[in-house]
Amino acid sequence: MVHLGAMQKIKPPQRIFRDDEEVDYVIVGVGSAGGVLLQRLARAGFKVLGMEAGKFWDTERDWVSDEAGSHQLYWNDLRITGGEHPLALGSNNSGKGVGGGSVHWAAFTPRFHPSDFEVYTRDGVGADWPLSYEELEPYYELLEQEIPVAGPAWYPWGKPHGHPYAPHPMGGVGDVLIKGCTKLGIPVSAGGPVAILSASRGNRPHCIYRGFCIQACKVGAKASTLITHVPDALEHGAEVRDRSMVARISMRPDGRTDGVVYIDRDGRERFQRARAVIVSGYAIETPRLLLNSACPGHEHGLANSSGTLGKYLMAQAGNVVLGRFDELIRMYKAPPAHALTEEFYETDPKRDFARGFAIQTVGPLPIAFSKQMMAAKGLWGWSMRREMMEYNHWAALGLLGEILPWADNRVELAAERDQYGLRVAKVTFRLRDNDKKLIEFGKNKVMEVMHAAGAVEVVQESRYAHLVGAARMGKDPSTSVCDKFGRTWDIPNLFVMDGSVMPTQGSANPGLTIQALAARTADYLITQGDAIFNSASRDMTPPPVCRSLSPPDTFTSGAPHLR
Amino acid sequence: MSTERKPVTDPRTGEPLPQRAQPGYYSGFKTLSQQAFWDQATRDVVLRRVEYVPPIRFFNEQEAATMLAVVDRILPQEDRLPSTRIPLLPGLDERLFENRLEGYRYEDMPPDQEAYRIAARAFEAMAQELHGQSFHLLPTLQQEEILQSIHDGKPLAASQLWNRMNVERFWMLLVSDCCAAYYSHPWAWDEIGYGGPAYPRAYMRLTEGEPEPWEKGEQRYQWSPPADTLSGAAQPPAKGSAHQSHPGQAGTH
Repeated sequence: MVHLGAMQKIKPPQRIFRDDEEVDYVIVGVGSAGGVLLQRLARAGFKVLGMEAGKFWDTERDWVSDEAGSHQLYWNDLRITGGEHPLALGSNNSGKGVGGGSVHWAAFTPRFHPSDFEVYTRDGVGADWPLSYEELEPYYELLEQEIPVAGPAWYPWGKPHGHPYAPHPMGGVGDVLIKGCTKLGIPVSAGGPVAILSASRGNRPHCIYRGFCIQACKVGAKASTLITHVPDALEHGAEVRDRSMVARISMRPDGRTDGVVYIDRDGRERFQRARAVIVSGYAIETPRLLLNSACPGHEHGLANSSGTLGKYLMAQAGNVVLGRFDELIRMYKAPPAHALTEEFYETDPKRDFARGFAIQTVGPLPIAFSKQMMAAKGLWGWSMRREMMEYNHWAALGLLGEILPWADNRVELAAERDQYGLRVAKVTFRLRDNDKKLIEFGKNKVMEVMHAAGAVEVVQESRYAHLVGAARMGKDPSTSVCDKFGRTWDIPNLFVMDGSVMPTQGSANPGLTIQALAARTADYLITQGDAIFNSASRDMTPPPVCRSLSPPDTFTSGAPHLR
Repeated sequence: MSTERKPVTDPRTGEPLPQRAQPGYYSGFKTLSQQAFWDQATRDVVLRRVEYVPPIRFFNEQEAATMLAVVDRILPQEDRLPSTRIPLLPGLDERLFENRLEGYRYEDMPPDQEAYRIAARAFEAMAQELHGQSFHLLPTLQQEEILQSIHDGKPLAASQLWNRMNVERFWMLLVSDCCAAYYSHPWAWDEIGYGGPAYPRAYMRLTEGEPEPWEKGEQRYQWSPPADTLSGAAQPPAKGSAHQSHPGQAGTH
């Protein structure tokens, strides 16, 4: 029996496809997007196999309530990072193992705003999406029910909506955010939106406020596709092949893929036949795999006739603002994610930059906090020891700022190779003028909130959060990698579906939007049926929204207050 | 043998303060006393950290002597009774021996193993060049002058060795590794009043800084760092330094 949270147990064995058995879909990466795709396609009756480089977790045996002991959750294999403003990777933004990043996300689940889908039209910067907010909205509503989302009954920003589960009680940091914002007349959403259960559902218990969300939720209260979608996928005949690293996508002479070459858990190279392949490896591994799959006829990587593969990589500004208070806070309690404001999300003509930012609660545990003190205050030695004794007097707020997509913020292949002999990713990142102005304004606003809350000392560290882009969707095959369903322009039975398809990123955490996009693509694939496997014709009609493929318990509890 | 290190003092009298089994303002708070309320996997991981000190396998004898003296200044523990000091070097050595990575390397840095080998040689070379003596035998102030110059990104000596990497990034790697070793230890949690593991029992007092029934309130006392230290005051990084452009490494939101 495998434990998935405190109450849910599932029984192996599961279905196992033979190597020479042609499956309908191989999904590379069982994370936020891959988990949802796997579940939908399995329910619809397809033969579907998820390849995952990391392991299938047993949450009781493998996960711990311990900061240093959670190192294995992250993508720790070598990558090279550089450029003028290099991004930290690993534990900062990259998961490994079934559930992927949804295992270690803080689980903030704001939707993108309608303006996010037409940034270029409105502001003349960035790019427009090939779909509108209205096209994605039904999938936001569906996923908010499925995972489900706790938050206020009235959420005022973007397109106003409500949440199916009740908001969470405040922790010390949420109190700080509310106090500071209220002093300054800034509205705050308290208790969500987060994909953390405020009441139990089915075989998942409610949150116990232990504060280890980003070290993976042993409780099973925080949503990850490992516990929300993968069990239902297995129940409906999907296979998850864990500890299997896909090395390259195999191409036939006729320009279609026929499967993937992968390294299995015993280190053997194997080939899995498939009628179509969906790459869901997130913004570094997805372009890396497509680049590493270069072959005759695709010398610059697969799906790269536009030359945009690997480009337009985005991270959000994630500066952490730390405030010390005379009174005790104890920020290690409660989920790090429990209150936020999107009051500064939209472009404001009174400011000298396009787009905006959010302010969110964060709750660093001692090791993360000590590194923040090193970066923000230059502490070491006795000054570090002394400041750490004040840990319980500090509160932390996060800026989440939109950084625009730029072509030369990118993923390429480095000369170095990993333990499988595959070339590793090289990531290059540099801020531009608009990004710098936005970060400066946003950081100062968060510091102002911290002061208004009564902090006696306020410092900050620069940081970047999340990774999206690098295989972007678009309307024009000459400037994008895939269409609005993630179907690559160049190879009719090869799809990309994960955060890498995003043309812009707003200042909302990307997890919910990734899952909503995946559910929509699943509906498209189901509607298209065998045409994906046999035809190169491209039907751009949006599929009907299918509400009959949701996991059990989706509609038995939790009702959104607003539609 | 390392030289005598000065004690922390009472700022009102300037008198030395006695060493404590548990420094910090939460006297009597013991996270380990709550281990019966932790889950098995967490208990195994935390107890191994307390009970098992891995052998030194990555650094050679000379490098280990230097690096032990370095980490003792990065996170000094002379306020603790020798029996309750938290070993820092073995955890770092184990990480390097097993080549456990953080998932990335900066393009202006050599691999972690190489960076630490260079640094161990460089600290010793600096000591010999500046003072004609081994780093681990220098008095506190001279050791800390050397460390301070690495913090500032302006090595006082051994520039040929330090030229092989981004010095400020190495400093942050070193301090991060030391902090990860120290603040992952339950004795450090007791020192700072951090509640530690809380599954399956949960936390229930979420606001106003209220302690759980098994936690303690603060009992503050005054103390000053030893008179001969350079590390007693905050050193805000200069604008434009690598400290400012070095992004936060841990996921937060």
